Amino acid sequence: MLILSIFLTNCSGVKELTIFKKKVEREKLNLNTPTPLELENLKWIIITSKNAEEVFKKLEEQGIDPVLWGLTDKDFELLAKNFAQIRNQLKITNDLLDKYKEYYEPKTNEK
Amino acid sequence: MFGSIKIFFIGIIATAVIGGGFYVMKLRSDNAILKANSIKMEEAITDQQELITQQKNDFKDILAANQKINELVSVLKKDLDNLDKRFNKKNRDVGKLAIAKTESIERITNGASALATRCIEIASGAELTEAEKNATKKSEINSECPSIANPKYIPY
Repeated sequence: MLILSIFLTNCSGVKELTIFKKKVEREKLNLNTPTPLELENLKWIIITSKNAEEVFKKLEEQGIDPVLWGLTDKDFELLAKNFAQIRNQLKITNDLLDKYKEYYEPKTNEK
Repeated sequence: MFGSIKIFFIGIIATAVIGGGFYVMKLRSDNAILKANSIKMEEAITDQQELITQQKNDFKDILAANQKINELVSVLKKDLDNLDKRFNKKNRDVGKLAIAKTESIERITNGASALATRCIEIASGAELTEAEKNATKKSEINSECPSIANPKYIPY
């Protein structure tokens, strides 16, 4: 009887529930933000068939080689638009990076 | 004979009492474990609720970030459209204008070029100057990219 009661009480027991918790925060990437650009201003010179001689003469007077890289009015327009598109893409990419950083590496410890 | 039977029954009763004692102790032990389990389960449920709340907040953050980026794309597209208008407004021909008013178009081109250069600096992360931050009039803004250079400017 004693053996039976010991047998019954030990084999049908309730096992203690164990919950494991292990939270390890990922190290922050912390890459340095790229230094903003500091660009040089360039000077555009408009040459027409009327002022070409005068323009080259002025260049020589200023000690600048009398040579110019040329664009038609249409190509100048395209260049302006291309730069505007590059600028927009740069802004969007930078803002995306900021948003990712805000989301995955918030300043407070909310996450 | 009678003595043996008596001892036998006493043995049975003693065994039953001891067994009962063990059983009660076991029940108490099980009860304590069940209580502990119940507390842990409640903790687990609380953790899950916190997780769900966190996920809801994450979704809000994701939506907000998406909205901000979409707004940015939209205003940058407006800047690009404005640039196109400046070149082609009312069938304007910049080439002919440059022939007719060479000096003034050259001055305008250089002014716009300097502004466009500044736009690239801003897009690359340069801080806005106080004048750029506070610009509200057309005469004060960077006409090449007011959406990123002049946060207080509302087109009119």
